[in-house]
Amino acid sequence: MSAERITRREMLKRLIVAPIGAAALVTLPVREASAAALQPYYEPYFVAVLWEGRTRCDSLWRSLKGDVVAILPTVQGATPYDRLYWTGYALGSAPVNVNMRVLARAVDHNGVPLGNGWRSIGQATIQTPPQRWFRVEIPEGHWDEYRIEVRSATPRLVYSRVIASQGYWKE
Amino acid sequence: MPVRFLRNASELADVSWESPLPVQVANARPVSADTLLVATTSVTTDANRDLLGSTSSELPTLDGCGQYRKLVWIARRASDTQINYTIRARATDPVSGAPLEVGWRTIMTGNFPADSANPNWLRLDIPATGDGYWDQYRIEISVASGTVSLVSKIVGVR
Repeated sequence: MSAERITRREMLKRLIVAPIGAAALVTLPVREASAAALQPYYEPYFVAVLWEGRTRCDSLWRSLKGDVVAILPTVQGATPYDRLYWTGYALGSAPVNVNMRVLARAVDHNGVPLGNGWRSIGQATIQTPPQRWFRVEIPEGHWDEYRIEVRSATPRLVYSRVIASQGYWKE
Repeated sequence: MPVRFLRNASELADVSWESPLPVQVANARPVSADTLLVATTSVTTDANRDLLGSTSSELPTLDGCGQYRKLVWIARRASDTQINYTIRARATDPVSGAPLEVGWRTIMTGNFPADSANPNWLRLDIPATGDGYWDQYRIEISVASGTVSLVSKIVGVR
């Protein structure tokens, strides 16, 4: 293991020129809500962090929160958001090959889902060299709850963040 | 001569690519979304039954929608059965709230086909393209035969 001392300027340059792995959910035309009070807003751009953490990916479809309980949402209270972005990176020296899919549903005034199950919004395979960032855009907004699931044939640890953006009016 | 600004309350920094001037979007506010309707409908073969169960063609399903750029109709049907829809819209008098005239403009027709990949959950943006801003909407639904229970939620997006 080696280390080098670099300046902040050099670090920024390296971050900027680093290739970014990206996957687009082209079939997504969708978003969560009750957690709104807990969401730190990056004013004035009206972007909220809906979730942030690490996920142990294995061969099972798991929510980003790690559960395999299909009825549980990954994020809630997403009604006001136009679109979601899932950004992260996987630890390890092997190339990343992680399957992901996005499910969505709506809830009634009491926060109860309108019915069982989810709507499949889209799915994709994230393939990047090791140590690269990836980003997935989920453009189908205004769903109340989303469940973002991942799996990987090779167990991986993924650090990621789900943010949501809200359009704004300039007055 | 470099331009400098006060960063972090105590640090004087040159404006550069790495430390740009802090800016703030002024006079802006987020676009909010409102839940306009949550309703359960028994969808029948009646071609003119709306989401509220009414077959009175002059009654709107939604009123006071003039502020919304679009409506997002999300629904869950009880079975994987094709559901036909017709979306009608009209404007109202801003003072009285009464429709400018009887009748409607049909802005969308179509159907939610049976779909094994997504048998239950449905979604439709109204209108599909462009902006809405209609005052009233009437959303009519029907099936070819039998009945299907449909739970709908409509979100208005400004």
